[in-house]
Amino acid sequence: MNEERLRALLRETPAPGEEAAAQRGLRIAREAFTRREPPRRQARPRLGLAFAIGVLIAGLTLSPAGAEVRDWIGDVFTAGVPNAERALTDVPGGGRLLVQTRDGAWVVQPDGSRRLLGRFQSATWSPRGLFVAATDGHTLSALDPEGNLRWSISAGAATSDPRWSAGSGFRIAYRAGSALRVIGADGSKDGLLGGSKDGLLDPQAAAVPAVWSPQGLHLLAYVDAEERLRAVNADTGEVLGSAQTLPGIDLLGWSADGSMLLETSPRALRIRPVTTSKLVEELALEAPRNVRLPAGASLETAAFSPNGAAIAALLYSRGRAGKPAHSEVVLIDPDGSPPRRIFSVSGRLSDLAWSPDGRWLLLSWPDADQWLFIPLGGPGKIRAIGGISGEFSPGEGDSGFPRIDGWCCPAASAGSG
Amino acid sequence: MGVESGAIEAVDLPQPPAGRRERRLIREAQRGSQQALGELYAAHWRRAHRAAYFVVHDGPAAEDIAQDAFLAAIDALDRFDRRRPFAPWLHRIVVNRAVDWGRRESLRRAVGDSEAATDTAPPTESIGGDLMEALARLPIEQRAVVVLRYLLDYTPGEVARMLDLPRGTVNSRLRRALDKLGDLLEGQR
Repeated sequence: MNEERLRALLRETPAPGEEAAAQRGLRIAREAFTRREPPRRQARPRLGLAFAIGVLIAGLTLSPAGAEVRDWIGDVFTAGVPNAERALTDVPGGGRLLVQTRDGAWVVQPDGSRRLLGRFQSATWSPRGLFVAATDGHTLSALDPEGNLRWSISAGAATSDPRWSAGSGFRIAYRAGSALRVIGADGSKDGLLGGSKDGLLDPQAAAVPAVWSPQGLHLLAYVDAEERLRAVNADTGEVLGSAQTLPGIDLLGWSADGSMLLETSPRALRIRPVTTSKLVEELALEAPRNVRLPAGASLETAAFSPNGAAIAALLYSRGRAGKPAHSEVVLIDPDGSPPRRIFSVSGRLSDLAWSPDGRWLLLSWPDADQWLFIPLGGPGKIRAIGGISGEFSPGEGDSGFPRIDGWCCPAASAGSG
Repeated sequence: MGVESGAIEAVDLPQPPAGRRERRLIREAQRGSQQALGELYAAHWRRAHRAAYFVVHDGPAAEDIAQDAFLAAIDALDRFDRRRPFAPWLHRIVVNRAVDWGRRESLRRAVGDSEAATDTAPPTESIGGDLMEALARLPIEQRAVVVLRYLLDYTPGEVARMLDLPRGTVNSRLRRALDKLGDLLEGQR
C-alpha cells in the first residue's frame, strides 16, 4: 500500500464519538488538574518534608544513631504515604521491572510504560535483560521484553520458579512439579545438562527457587527435599557441596561475588560463606552466621544489594499490647555490624527489590495500593506511587495488586542473554 | 460540528503547538493555569485519542486510554522537563497502553470471553471503514507502528525508541503492515 495514501486515510478517519469523548476527557482533565497539588511555590512544605525524610534516611543508612527519629518515620506513614503520585510515569533509579498480576507477566520500562508479555505465572530476567523466561501451566518459554516468543517447551508437569544463569546466560533452571531441571537458554535439551538425558538435576527438590552463582560458572545452589542446601555443577549434575540449612527455608540468594549465600525462613536469616575455586571443582559451604532479628518479627523477604555490600530485609511484626502491626526494612551488613532500620510503616509491606545501581529499594504496600521507592545513601526523596493495581488493569476489571519479580539492567545491550 | 451517538464525522487533526509556545503553555500549566491546560488538551487530545482507537478498535477503551495518559501527564506536570517536547511523551504512553490493552483482550478472548470479543468489532459504516476493517486485521504490534509512523509522523528510529524495539523490527513490521493493508483493501474492492 502507498504510504501517502495510508497517511491521508488515517488523518481523515476520525474515531467514533471523537468530539463527545473530547468533551468528557476535558472535563475529567480539568477536575484532575484542580485536585492536583498546588503549584510548586505553594508546595514547598510537602517537598521540604519529603526531602527531610530522604536526607534523614540517608543519614540513618550511614549511622546507627537516631532511634527516636526512626520511630517518627514510622509514625508518619500509617495508611499509605500521603500525597502519593497518582501514576507511574518513571522508574526512579532507572532500569526495568518485571511484574506479575493475575493477567500475566508485565515489563515496566524506565519511563513507566508497561507491556503485558502474556498469561504467565512466574517470570525472570536474563542476566542483561535481553530476554525473559516465563512459566505457564506445564510450559516454560523464553521471550523478548516485547513479548515475542522465542521458544517454548512442555515439561510434562507444572512449571515454576524459572531462573536464568548469570554471566553469559546459557542455562535456565526451573521446577517442573517437584523436580528441579535445567535447560539451555536456546531451549535445547542438551543431553549433558544436569548429567542426565532430560536436564533433571533433582527429582524431589524443595519449593525454594534455585539460585545461580553470579560468577557465571553454571554453579547452582538449591534446597533438596530433606532441606539440605546443595551446590551443583548444573552441566554435569555433580554435587560440589551440601550442608544442612534452616528448617522452613523459603529463600536463597548469592552475594555479587559469589562468596556468600543468604538463607532465610520466616524466623531466621543466615549468611553462609562459600569458597570456590575458579574451576568450580572445589567448593566449600562454610558454617553460617545467624543474624539476630527483632523479637516477634517475621521475615517477609530479603535480598543482597547488587554489589553484595548489604542485605535488605523486610520484617513484619503483628500488633500486640497496644502496639500496631508494622513493617520495617533493615539493612544488614554481611560483615557482622548490627542491622540498621531504614524505614518503618504501620501496616504490611510485601515485596522488596533493589534497583540495578543499588541506590533505591522498591517496596510494595498492597493495602495502600502503593509502590514505595526508597532512596539509599543519597539526597533523593521517597517516591510513593498510588493506584498501582489500576496501572496493571487496562480497561475494566481488577487484576489485583502486582508482585515484583525482578528489577533489571538500565538498558538492553547487544550479545546473548 | 455536531456528532450523533455512534456516528462518525471527519475532523481535521489540530497541529501541536510549536516548541516555544508549547514550553510556555507547560510553564503556565505548571503554575496552575486552567487556560494553558485547556490549550494543551485541545492541541493533543484528538491525536492521542485517535491513536488509541486505531490500535485497540474499541471506542470506550480508546477513550479510557487517552484519558489515563492525560491524567498521567497532569500528575507528572511539575516534574516535566519543559525542554522536551510534550507529544512524544504522551504518545508513548498512549500507544504502549493501547498495546497492553489489546494483548489483554486477546488473552481474554483466548480463554473464551466472547463479550470482550464482540466489543472489538471494527466499524464498517464510516468514513475510512474499509481501512479500519483492514487495520483491525493486523496484529496489534503492527497497528502500533503504523499509527506512530503514519498518523503521528514519527520516524522509524523514533518509533523504535518509543516502543523499545530494534529499528529493524520496526521497519519489517511497517513493511509487512503495508503489504497486508494493500492486499486487504484490494480484496475489498
